[in-house]
Amino acid sequence: MSTVTRLDAVPEVAAETIDVAGSPVALRRRGPVDSATAGEPLLFLHGAGFTGKWLRFHEALAQGADVIAPEHVGYGETPMQDWLEDIGDLVLHYDDLRRALGLERFHLVGYSLGGWIAAAYATLFPDRLRSLTLITPAGIQVPGKPPFTDLFTMTPEQLFGTIFNDPANIGEVMVDVTDPDVAVHLYEEQSTLARLVWNPRYDRRMPRRLARVSCPALVLGAEDDRLVPNEAVDRYAEFLPDARVQRIPGTGHALVIEQPEQTAQAILDFQRSEQ
Amino acid sequence: MSQSLQFFHFGLMPYPNIPPPEQIESTWVNLSNSNYDPVVGHRLYNEYLDQAVLAEKLGYDGTCVNEHHQNAYGTMPDPNVMASHIVARTSKIRVGIIGNALPLHENPLRVAESVAMLDVISGGRIISGFVRGTGMEYHSMRVNPATSRERFWEAHDLIIKAWTTDGPFDWQGKHFDIPYVNPWPRPFQQPHPPIWLPGQGSFETIKEAAKRRYPFMMVFAPLSFTKVNYDMYRKAAADEGYEPAPEQLAFCVPTYVAETEAKAHEEAREHMMWLFHRGLKIPDYHWVPPGYMSGQSLRGMIMGKRKFGIKDHTDLSYQDLLDDQYIIVGTPQQVAEKLAYYTDELGAGIHVASSAQIGDMPNWKVVKNMTLFAEEVMPLFRPPGNQPAWARGVPVPGTPASLPPTPAPTL
Repeated sequence: MSTVTRLDAVPEVAAETIDVAGSPVALRRRGPVDSATAGEPLLFLHGAGFTGKWLRFHEALAQGADVIAPEHVGYGETPMQDWLEDIGDLVLHYDDLRRALGLERFHLVGYSLGGWIAAAYATLFPDRLRSLTLITPAGIQVPGKPPFTDLFTMTPEQLFGTIFNDPANIGEVMVDVTDPDVAVHLYEEQSTLARLVWNPRYDRRMPRRLARVSCPALVLGAEDDRLVPNEAVDRYAEFLPDARVQRIPGTGHALVIEQPEQTAQAILDFQRSEQ
Repeated sequence: MSQSLQFFHFGLMPYPNIPPPEQIESTWVNLSNSNYDPVVGHRLYNEYLDQAVLAEKLGYDGTCVNEHHQNAYGTMPDPNVMASHIVARTSKIRVGIIGNALPLHENPLRVAESVAMLDVISGGRIISGFVRGTGMEYHSMRVNPATSRERFWEAHDLIIKAWTTDGPFDWQGKHFDIPYVNPWPRPFQQPHPPIWLPGQGSFETIKEAAKRRYPFMMVFAPLSFTKVNYDMYRKAAADEGYEPAPEQLAFCVPTYVAETEAKAHEEAREHMMWLFHRGLKIPDYHWVPPGYMSGQSLRGMIMGKRKFGIKDHTDLSYQDLLDDQYIIVGTPQQVAEKLAYYTDELGAGIHVASSAQIGDMPNWKVVKNMTLFAEEVMPLFRPPGNQPAWARGVPVPGTPASLPPTPAPTL
């Protein structure tokens, strides 16, 4: 198996806007550049932030896959829509996006909030997926614990303090919150998040529905996640019919920023092992 | 001086015995209720309610209650319970519920029913304020802040229709789906109790208030900001083709009078500071949960705060509170001069929070303040005889009779 190279520089990848059933979506896409094959399509669903740019994690994944990274409705450069009421609306929206891109079957990877959306997608459209990867996913109840530490009562500094255990790469996603444009944009993204997960904060029906997933699944956890309970990873693996768990050492909830190459390597290794 | 200023008594019913601000994260949402002693609460509630009853004896035009949840700033989670108590112990004074927080209710018909009950029992003395609730309430009650504005207006429309249309009728909305809207009783006042909209100054709210001719109330704002918001209301009213009556512009400004200026400050200072430094000790993330405001309104707030140099409540010194006129403190003559600016220069007609309990103010000061205010300040803004509006047959602000006539449509 090929090894993901450690990246010192990440190219800028501009977002293109595509039409998805009447709603514009900002999307970045890039695959292996030094390979004869384009790699298999991999749809990556982002979490509740880190939007607006091609990340080192994207680039690492793109060494082995045709990475398609749209921004959710109400995130990044994808505008909010009146029709967006809950996670289910995004699941249908992403099936519309799949059709718009002409994908038959694809690898689905979701991080945090995107993990919840990806898991819900897999329960509704199991036949579309070659594989499912959930990275520190939200959306499932861990009895006796809050489904996530209340990020709605954190300052931006407190939030970063909670999701990063290893702040070495934090600069990649740092923004200046004293800039009103930045503050308003972050508030609007948080408003989208509130619309989706303010109440309820998890899907009570998720465990039963996960039995419908028919593809192999990888559930990637942090070494110690202080936002979403560590047990959420095990809960997903418990209810997914064919799942394995892997934890990335030294990381917190933001493992895609903390250890982009290791995280990408784990995903690509898993996808190849299931060929 | 204007002879059309109305005075509404309004205490928040705080629970003062909480740790100092530097020891707590917030006076709301997560300040532990282990700080609440029900024996102390019993005494406080009854003092506060006695003060509302005293307002009628002293000739105030109205007394008000409101709704807040899980906090020490104001302990009236159900304002209709408080209004019911006051209605039972008074016979003339108008009772303003300012207001029921509509989006927090699972079913707005409960508000339509409770307010109509109070209106019928009181013989039409109720003013029905509607509010969205503060941002803090959305953390406490877990209602989604991102849909609060649309929930507010749908609940509002449903309640008004329920009060003015013969039931049963079928309501199919985005947030409420009710096949039999048919509340008993119907309200005493026709077509319905006057509606007030207390606000924090979002342009959306001001426009909607002006369109419906609802009195708009600024709460605990500096004078400069109140003026800007009144100007917006006036402009919105002009767009609707009318000039607002004084009764449409209300201001909620804590006020304290005493025999001398020095004594007034000496008696009021610590309690005003409790209100602004403890009662309003609120982190931004409690104030403005995501979606509670539009991005555009947030931008307006950030820029407005910078432009007008508005400080956070907890950064305001006592002198700031006086200079920016968040509060009014002084001799009766000094207080009257400040109030005259609101009536004569800003065209306002309703003073809310006139001389009521503030922060950790003990009962004796409240009674003294209320009495002195009623005897020395109120007569200056009333026709000879110093009678309250309800004794003079002046309509309640917000009722159709109190408002300027709609100009005939030009064909």
